[in-house]
Amino acid sequence: MPKRTDIHSVLIIGAGPIIIGQACEFDYSGTQACKALREEGYRVILINSNPATIMTDPEFADRTYIEPVTPEAVEKIIIREQEEMHRLGATGKLVLLPTLGGQTALNTAMKLHHAGTLERLNVEMIGAKADAIEKGENRQVFKELMLSIGLDVPISGTAHTLDEARAVAERIGRYPLIIRPAYTLGGTGGGIGYNREEFEEIAKRGIDLSPVSEILVEESLLGWKEFEMEVMRDCADNCVIICSIENFDPMGVHTGDSITVAPIQTLTDKEFQIMRDQSFAVIRAVGVETGGSNIQFGVSPETGRMVIIEMNPRVSRSSALASKATGFPIAKIAAKLAVGYLLDELRNDITRKTPASFEPTIDYVVTKIPRFAFEKFPQADPTLTTQMKSVGEAMAIGRTFKESLQKCLRSLEIGRSGLGGDGKAWRIGTDFIGDRDTFPRDLITQKLSVPNAERIFFIRHALRAGFSIEEIYTLSKIDRWFLVQIQELVTFEETLAASVN
Amino acid sequence: MNLDLLVRAKTLGFSDRQIAHLTRRTEDEVRAERKRHQLVPSYRLVDTCAAEFEAYTPYYYSTYDRGDDEVTLTQTQKIMILGGGPNRIGQGIEFDYCCVHAAFALKEDGFETIMVNSNPETVSTDYDTSDKLFFEPLTLEDVLHIYEREGCKGAIAQFGGQTPLNLALGLKRNGVNIIGTTPENIEIAEDRKLFAAMLDKLGIPQPPNGLAVNAEEALVASHRLGYPVLVRPSFVLGGRAMQIVYSDSELTHYMRFAVEASPERPVLVDKFLEDATEVDVDCIADVGHFTNVEDGTIVVGGMLEHIEFAGVHSGDAAMVLPPHTLSQGVIETIRGYTHAMAKELRVCGLMNVQYAVKGDTVYVLEVNPRASRTIPFVSKAIGVPLAKLAAKVMAGKTLKELGFTAEIWPSYWAVKESVFPFNKFLGQDIVLSPEMRSTGEVMGLDADLGIAYAKAQMAANSPLPLKGRVFISIADAHKKDLVQLAQSYLDLGFELVATNGTATALEAAGIKVQRTLKVLQGRPNIVDLLKNKEIQLVINTPNGSAPREDEVKIRTTAVMTGTPIMTTISGAKAAALGIAALQKHGYSVKTIQEYF
Repeated sequence: MPKRTDIHSVLIIGAGPIIIGQACEFDYSGTQACKALREEGYRVILINSNPATIMTDPEFADRTYIEPVTPEAVEKIIIREQEEMHRLGATGKLVLLPTLGGQTALNTAMKLHHAGTLERLNVEMIGAKADAIEKGENRQVFKELMLSIGLDVPISGTAHTLDEARAVAERIGRYPLIIRPAYTLGGTGGGIGYNREEFEEIAKRGIDLSPVSEILVEESLLGWKEFEMEVMRDCADNCVIICSIENFDPMGVHTGDSITVAPIQTLTDKEFQIMRDQSFAVIRAVGVETGGSNIQFGVSPETGRMVIIEMNPRVSRSSALASKATGFPIAKIAAKLAVGYLLDELRNDITRKTPASFEPTIDYVVTKIPRFAFEKFPQADPTLTTQMKSVGEAMAIGRTFKESLQKCLRSLEIGRSGLGGDGKAWRIGTDFIGDRDTFPRDLITQKLSVPNAERIFFIRHALRAGFSIEEIYTLSKIDRWFLVQIQELVTFEETLAASVN
Repeated sequence: MNLDLLVRAKTLGFSDRQIAHLTRRTEDEVRAERKRHQLVPSYRLVDTCAAEFEAYTPYYYSTYDRGDDEVTLTQTQKIMILGGGPNRIGQGIEFDYCCVHAAFALKEDGFETIMVNSNPETVSTDYDTSDKLFFEPLTLEDVLHIYEREGCKGAIAQFGGQTPLNLALGLKRNGVNIIGTTPENIEIAEDRKLFAAMLDKLGIPQPPNGLAVNAEEALVASHRLGYPVLVRPSFVLGGRAMQIVYSDSELTHYMRFAVEASPERPVLVDKFLEDATEVDVDCIADVGHFTNVEDGTIVVGGMLEHIEFAGVHSGDAAMVLPPHTLSQGVIETIRGYTHAMAKELRVCGLMNVQYAVKGDTVYVLEVNPRASRTIPFVSKAIGVPLAKLAAKVMAGKTLKELGFTAEIWPSYWAVKESVFPFNKFLGQDIVLSPEMRSTGEVMGLDADLGIAYAKAQMAANSPLPLKGRVFISIADAHKKDLVQLAQSYLDLGFELVATNGTATALEAAGIKVQRTLKVLQGRPNIVDLLKNKEIQLVINTPNGSAPREDEVKIRTTAVMTGTPIMTTISGAKAAALGIAALQKHGYSVKTIQEYF
C-alpha cells in the first residue's frame, strides 16, 4: 500500500521537558519521525517546549512551536495551522501523530479527543486511534480484553475510593499488594503495600495523583521474572518482534530502574515462542493498527505461569533501547507505517536489501544499567520500587553477558571500572569498605533482599563473602543463570589477584 | 604477565584498570603489555541481521572475542566527538545536543565524524547522526583504542559535559590531539590559583575567597571573609555538595559530613554575595587561531539574567534572555570582561561565564571554556546554532569565514524554567539551593515578558492560576517585600491566606487577609487547605538555612497536590507579572521560524 495522499501536514507532539521516566529518548524518536515524514514530502508541524532537543532545531520541521505541551496550546496550533493550510491552498488535511512524544503526548492527545476538540476541528489521529490507546492505557479495560482472548493477567481490581481499594484487597486476599495509579508517568504515586496500613497510605496517594482518580490494586508478582517485547504492526496486520528484553531485576522494580539485557537469556525456545505469539495477540486485540508497542510479561520462576503485565501503545523508553540494541530504527519505521506504508515496502537502511518486515537477529548481548542520583535527595528513600527513580542509563554491547555487563558498569561513570577489583573503596552511607575487603553478612543480606542501586555489586560482595548461589537467589530472586555468570567474574578476579602472589 | 590470563581477563570484560589493580601494575603498564602482545579489541557491526547480509551503516561495538574486525577503513580526515555518557542531574540532553551539532557541522565541512557514547537514549547514538558510531564506554582505555584504530586527526572533548573533559588531559598525554581551546587553558579556568592570577592580571573582580584542606582552615577562611560563605569541593559539575553556610556550627558539620577535603582536593570557600543578581553568558570565539589575539573574533551569543537571586544553581534557576533589569553600564562591563577572558584563554570554540552583579559591581563567579548547559537554549533564543559554529571553529574555520561576527539582541523574550523531580522523592525539601536538582528545562517565548514567563510555567507543568487564593508565608529577611507583593496579588483579584505572623503584618498595612493555622497549631491548618485544593498558589520563602519542619511540610504538600509554589520573592514577583499579562490578553502561539 503506498503512502496516504490525503494528508498534507502532520502535527507531532513532543514530550516536553526531561523528567524522570521521560528523558531524551523521545527527542531521539521525535527527531527520527520528523526526518522520516519530511522525506515523504509531508509538511511537518512540531510542538515541544524543550529547547534542548534536536527536534526543535528549526531545520527539522517546517513549523516548530516551542510552546507548552498542553491541550490548549495544541488546539491553538491546529486552528492556526489549518488557517495557514487554507491560505496555502493545501488540498490534503492535517493529522495528529501522538505516539512519539511519550506519555505526555499521548495524554495531551487523549484530552483533546475527550473534549471533542479533534472531532470539531476534523483532525484524525494517526499511529494509534483513540480507542486503541484507551484499551492499552486503561488497566481494567486492558485486563478484561486480555482475559477475553484467553491470556493470563495478574488478579486485580480498580478502585476510585479508599473503600473500593479495601474491597479489592480483601478479594485478592494476601499481601503484599501492588498499587498502580492510572495515567501517570513512570508509575508516579504507585508502590507496594506490605501491610494494611502501608497499602492504605499508598492507595490514597495513588487516587490523589491519578488524573482520573483511579488506581489498580494487583496481586503481587514480587520475585517473578520480567520480560519485554518490542512489537510493530502495519495496517495489513503484519507483525514483527523487533527485540526481546529480559529484566535482570525481578518484578517489583520499575523496568526503567532495572538492569535489562537483550536478547532474552533465560527462557527456553518454547517459552520464547509462546511469548512471541502472545505479543502478536495483544497488539492485535488492542488494535494498534500501525506502529510500535511495548508489552511486558511476568513469568513465575516456580510454576512457569506467564502473565501479561501491561502494554504501551506507543514508542516508549524501551523502544529507544531496542532500536539501539538492534540497529532497527523503530520510531522512523513507526512514522512511515502511520502514513500508510507496509512493513515489507520499507527498506532496512542497514542492509539496503532486506525489508523492514525481517525481524532483527543479534549475535551479541546488550546490557543496560540505570544511573541514579540519590546523593542529591538525601531525605528521600533510595529503595527501588515500581515508581521509577533513575535519571539516566548506560548501555554496552559485548559478545557475552559478562563482557557487556562489565563494559556497562564502567560506562556508568560512578567511579567504577567494572564489577570490582579496581582498587576503589566502596562507600556505604558515611563509611568506606576497602575494594577487596569482606563485607559484613548482615549488610549483604539486607542489600540483596531490598532492591537498591548497588545490588549488582553486592552480588559480588556476597560471593566473595562465601554466600552460595542458592542463598543469593533466595534473597534476591535474581535468576540463577545471571548469578552464575557473575560468579565466573568473581572467581576470575581471585585467580588474577592470586597470580601475582 | 601471563598472556593466557590477560586474554581471559579481556574476554571477560575486565578493564585495564581492574587488571592493573589486581596484578599490582599501573593502567599504562597493562596497556603497554597488551599492545606488545597485539591484544587489542576488534570492532563488530550492529547490523540487524547477525552478519547474514552486508551492512551499510557503520555502527560498532568492541569485543575481545577476536578475529573478524568489521570496520571499513576510510581515508577521509576524521574527527572524534566524545559524548556525555549516561544522563545524570547536571549533565543531560543539553550536552548531547551539542555533540550532535558537532557531528552535523563537521560532516558539512567534509570531515568524517566518529561519535563515541554509551547513552542509548540520545540522538548522538543514532546511526544517522555521525559517519561512524562507536557504542562504547567513555574511558581512557576504550576511547584511545578507537582513536588509534581510526587514525583520527583530532578529538572534541569540550561538548559532552564533564565526562569527556575529565578524559582530556589523559588523552592528550597519550597522543590525542584535543582540538579547540587547549586542555592547558581549560585547566587555568578550573584551577583556583591560576584562575585568580588571571583575573588579577585582567583587573576583573571575583568574590573574596579562600581554600581549605580541613575544618580548621575552613573556619579561618570563613572568619576572614565573614558569613555567609559558599562552600564547595573543587572539580565538580552540577553543584554537588555545594552549600551556603551561615555559622561556625553549620560549617563544621559540612566539613565533617558533606565533603572529603584533602590537600589534593581542597574545599573552596567564597564570600556569598547576598541578593546579588546572577548572569550567565555564553560566547563563541576563534582567538586560538591567531598569533595576535587582537585578530580573533569574539561574539557574545547570549546573556541570561537569573530570576532567582544568587545562591540558586544556574542549572536550577529560571532565566531571562535578554537581561530585563540590568543597566546598560553593567551589560557593557559584562561584555568587556567576557571579551578580555576569551582573549586571555585563547578560546577556540565556546565559553560560558557566570557573573554576579551587586549594585554596579560585576563579579566573576566561574568560567568554563567549553559548551555549557545553556547553549541549546541560547541557540534557540537567538536563532543561531552556536554549537555547530563552534565545532567548525574548533576544526579550523574563523568566525569571519562563518559570517557570525555580531551579537544578536532579540526584540522578544525567552524565559528558561527548570523542571524538578520532587514528586518522585516525596519528603525531600524543595527549596532551591546551590546543589543542582532539576532534570530538565522548558522555554517560554513571547514578545511580552510576562507571557513568556507564564508560558514557561505552563510548560513546566506548573501553570499560573488566574484566580483563587494565594497562601503567603515569607521569611523575616524578606518581610520588606511582603506588603508590596501581597498588594500585587490583591490587585490581580486573588484572596490572601496567611498564618498569624504574616497575617498580622499584612493587616497592619491595611491588607485584607484570611487567617489559617500553622501545622502544629491544630486543624484545619494550611496543609489541610492544600490537600483540599483550596489554595491555588503558594508563596513560601525559606527561613534561613535550617528550615522549620512545618515549612518543609507545606512545601512538600504543595508538590504532592500539584499546587504551584514559588520559593523566592523574585519568582513570586515574576509570577504576578505573568498572571497580569495572561489576565489582560491571554496568549497566542508562534513558530520559531517566524521569530527569526
